[in-house]
Amino acid sequence: MELKSVTDPQYQILLDEKKDFRRKTYKKIGLTIIYIFLVLWAVFTFVPLLWMLSSSFKDSSAITAVPPELLPKKPTLDAYKRIFEVGGMARWFLNSTIVASISTIINVFFASLAGYAFSKLKFPGRNTIFWVLLSSMMIPGQVTLIPLYILVVNTLQLENTYFGLIVPGMVSVGSIFLMKQFMSSLPSSLIDAGRIDACSEFGIFRKIILPMAKPGLAVLGIFTFVGHWNNFFWPFLITNTNSMRTLQVGLTSFRFENLQDYGAMMAGAVCSAVPMIIVFLALQKYFLRGITIGAVKG
Amino acid sequence: MAEVKFVNVIKEFEDEKKGKVRAVNNANFVVKDKEFLVFVGPSGCGKTTSLRMIAGLERQSSGDIFIGNRLVNKVHPKDRDIAMVFQDYALYPHMTIKENLAFGLKNLKTPKAEIEAKIKEAAAILSIENLLDRKPRELSGGQKQRIAVGRAIVRNPSVFLFDEPLSNLDAKLRVQMRVELSELHKRLGATVIYVTHDQVEAMTLGQRIVVMNGGEIQQIASPEELYENPNNMFVAGFIGSPPMNFIKARLDGNQLMTADYTLTVPVGLLDKYKAYQKEEVVLGIRPEDIISLNLLNHQPNHNVIEPTLKVVEHLGAELLFYFNIGEDQVTGRVGADAKLKSLSKVKLYINMEKMHLFDPNTQERI
Repeated sequence: MELKSVTDPQYQILLDEKKDFRRKTYKKIGLTIIYIFLVLWAVFTFVPLLWMLSSSFKDSSAITAVPPELLPKKPTLDAYKRIFEVGGMARWFLNSTIVASISTIINVFFASLAGYAFSKLKFPGRNTIFWVLLSSMMIPGQVTLIPLYILVVNTLQLENTYFGLIVPGMVSVGSIFLMKQFMSSLPSSLIDAGRIDACSEFGIFRKIILPMAKPGLAVLGIFTFVGHWNNFFWPFLITNTNSMRTLQVGLTSFRFENLQDYGAMMAGAVCSAVPMIIVFLALQKYFLRGITIGAVKG
Repeated sequence: MAEVKFVNVIKEFEDEKKGKVRAVNNANFVVKDKEFLVFVGPSGCGKTTSLRMIAGLERQSSGDIFIGNRLVNKVHPKDRDIAMVFQDYALYPHMTIKENLAFGLKNLKTPKAEIEAKIKEAAAILSIENLLDRKPRELSGGQKQRIAVGRAIVRNPSVFLFDEPLSNLDAKLRVQMRVELSELHKRLGATVIYVTHDQVEAMTLGQRIVVMNGGEIQQIASPEELYENPNNMFVAGFIGSPPMNFIKARLDGNQLMTADYTLTVPVGLLDKYKAYQKEEVVLGIRPEDIISLNLLNHQPNHNVIEPTLKVVEHLGAELLFYFNIGEDQVTGRVGADAKLKSLSKVKLYINMEKMHLFDPNTQERI
């Protein structure tokens, strides 16, 4: 077939096909690059976790062996035995669970109340109070640490108690901010409808707002729980007996002056990571919905 | 008895940029018992604010509100014997339809058997029996609308408040729901106060209509009265679609001189316009009072004009046509059998018996 000119319809079809092919090829190349990048990223983040897991099953000589063993040749549970028998892992675990759970519940409760008030209730000075609270986020934690320590230890005498561990973290401005943003996206007409439907103000919060805010509460719950679970510095300052230590603080007791018990630390880290993974998997449904909060209307 | 009365009601808002904004200025009106009253006006005219003040969701800055002879200035919404239907339906998304309907009654500590009976009754009225176990997200817009109305019905209030309830529905469903709401009003025999920005809805539903603009009540009247005798240019322009034409003119004896034509004012009307002799006025004429001569079986000898049509729009049963008199664009509406063509010169008869004159300064009808 002879194609005479560019205006020939056959020529146009050929041209279109060629363009189409080229477009598809570019798309494939682009996707391949993205996939390679993502796989590398996944490996990059996963290797330390794998290393932690495999090291926790190694004996002390295998951990520092050169070249490193990716998988233990002689797997052993010695490290786990050590942290439970010598260290008091069970107690630390319990302490961490108590502190993180109670802090999370209290935080979610207060932050959702405050978030509701800041987003939906009208009262004089609402914006001013909110901005004052927000601006306090700019003060670094290190600055307030010493005054806080003096307050909690000297004034309130809460050293080495659960109260001392929990009280300073009962509510955070970040949580209030998150809840305010989330609750602003809930329609105000529902609150009006609740008022007309003879619901008390707290009833509106409990029966209408809270059930609708579940995804937001779940996200906040995860963030707070993870934050408190992983918190090291404050529990480190405020506790001074082995029985009051939380998990993260307890793990440091495997570091001695000239020697570090890597196996025990890795085993402890594995134990400390497991609850996080469980929490995430349990609330994943809400968590993923929470990330897209406000992105989808309706 | 559920009369609703506004006495000198003012509502001011504190706006961060504009300072004090007066949303409703000195409103005085009475909604009669069992009346269907519609508030209509452009957005921001204060109609929804008025409704929310009746509901008790906003507190007026000054003035008194009475519901059924009871001063309700400080009465909580739940004790006002009202129910409200919201624009976005405001159904509780985490509850089933049945729970949605029962929520208010439960809060009022109504006995369970009574709640069941009331839900059953409301469901039958609105034919929503098969939806009771579903969640709001499983329903279509029209169904949600019905549930929202149902939630108001079960409360058996003496006053129903509707805040633009049909504005989220498509055109066809809107017409259907309009008819249903009208029937419902007759059946329930309650006072209904209805807010809308759609003048067609207002005209078809309302026994009386309150036209608002910029926080001020412009006119309160029956739909016919509003259409035939608008108080001012705003009402004349807002009610009716397409709106009334306004043409600049000058009155001289019984002659009304527009930029292009001289029209004759009917003798019966001249007395009213005495004070405006030799003055600038605005002639108001409805599109249907501009009639194509080929549709008339008599040939009038005055008030006939012969403009060139700019555009003719075919709407099926009728035609809309546009032309200019001076700088003013004029819209006319005739039956499709007039067979008008764009860019043609046609003879049009202006029915001056239906004319209105407005004062160009105050915009009030003369």
